Amino acid sequence: MSMLRSVGSWFLPVLPESRVAVLRTVFYLFVIIDMHLFVRDPIPLSRHPELYRPLMIERVFHLPPPSLPLTLTLYVILMVCCLVAAANIMPRLAGGVVAAAFTWWTAIGMSYGKVDHDHLALVVALWVLPTVGVIADRWRSTERSAQAGWALKCIQIAVVFTYFLSALTKIRSGGWSITSWPESSILLWAIVRRPHGLGQFLLPHPELLHLMQWFSFTAELTAVVVLWLRGRALLAAAVFWMGFHVFTLAMLYIHFAPTAICWLAFAPLERLGPWLRGVRASRRASRRQRAGRRSARHPVPVLRDQAVDGGG
Amino acid sequence: MGKQRVRGISRGSYAWRIAASLIGIGLLLNGSLRMSDDVWPVGPLSQYAFSPAKDTTIVITRVEGLLADGRRIDLPLRVETAGISRAEIEARIPEITTDPSLLRSVADGWSSRHRGEPPLWRVWLVQDQTRLVDGRVGTTRLVELAAWELPS
Repeated sequence: MSMLRSVGSWFLPVLPESRVAVLRTVFYLFVIIDMHLFVRDPIPLSRHPELYRPLMIERVFHLPPPSLPLTLTLYVILMVCCLVAAANIMPRLAGGVVAAAFTWWTAIGMSYGKVDHDHLALVVALWVLPTVGVIADRWRSTERSAQAGWALKCIQIAVVFTYFLSALTKIRSGGWSITSWPESSILLWAIVRRPHGLGQFLLPHPELLHLMQWFSFTAELTAVVVLWLRGRALLAAAVFWMGFHVFTLAMLYIHFAPTAICWLAFAPLERLGPWLRGVRASRRASRRQRAGRRSARHPVPVLRDQAVDGGG
Repeated sequence: MGKQRVRGISRGSYAWRIAASLIGIGLLLNGSLRMSDDVWPVGPLSQYAFSPAKDTTIVITRVEGLLADGRRIDLPLRVETAGISRAEIEARIPEITTDPSLLRSVADGWSSRHRGEPPLWRVWLVQDQTRLVDGRVGTTRLVELAAWELPS
């Protein structure tokens, strides 16, 4: 029974709800960016019904094949609901619609032959964020809950699993061998096919590329450890993985932005609200001080002066 | 921050969340260890996960077009320029070689985005094939896979 309880408290740590409120704003706004920069092809692709090959999820739910009216409708629904959900208004309804609509939108983008793997954590995040429900005071909330903790833990697991599962897939595709992927010519292959950026300088050095393959494979395989890190160690891990993404971007033009942004689920975003309030308060105080000094030098009543900071 | 309150949680809410986490992790492991891309979003994270040999042939698939003014140009396979990306075309190579008229998607996509250019007469599906020799880059040759005449 105590083991069950400790499993429970691992999956449902009690964490600040304001962190979820901030994440909602960031993630729902990011979805809008994502639809214009990353999964931006569902509308043009829906003009080519002859190339559509539905994924299992689309077959199971009998989703209609994409057409121009359908993808345009999805687009409009997503825009509206993302803005509403980003403001933490109607989080269950608006967030639920975004989760379903964005999953469909992304599935359409992957139903024409190419499936990407950088959206796992974001899709998980969109499905778990609404489950926290209404957060009174939003960013200013001082409440903590297991509901918030579970949503955050799910996103954290999805981020770390994006790396860990890709290492497992490498072992599987290499005939269940640990060495076949790190010893292969995969990076050379990737650079020849994407001949931009930093990668070209590395083409003449296959030994260095093998070393990099071993390094990234080891990092991916051990990424699960991050779930148990705290404080500075956690910060170091986050910085390491951000560096990893910047490096693959510079070398191969491959970004994992939807995964990278989900690292925010590890960050103490609950400090953002009080910090912003502090900044605003100190700015107000210094303005009042300046106003006070000025009026001391000019002992003449200033018209409409009372309008300044009427609330204070 | 001692004044922080903790919201309560019912036994049922607690239980379904644990069940959902375990099922989710199970689906992800199953996807990566046994399934294919078809089960997205719980499929294997297989991007760049295969192991090319030291003497493999690296292939870049492209589409070239013959314009009415006699120029033969590359039609870049990106959503902004052709309405479809390289990966989508690569995934359909067998279908295109049996039915080259599927190249219409690229021809139409490119033409509608380049109205100032002369009309397209003919399009080719081609590949740049680069040989690796003992893990180093060797020679590259151009191979034609399919050709399609646009109906006038």
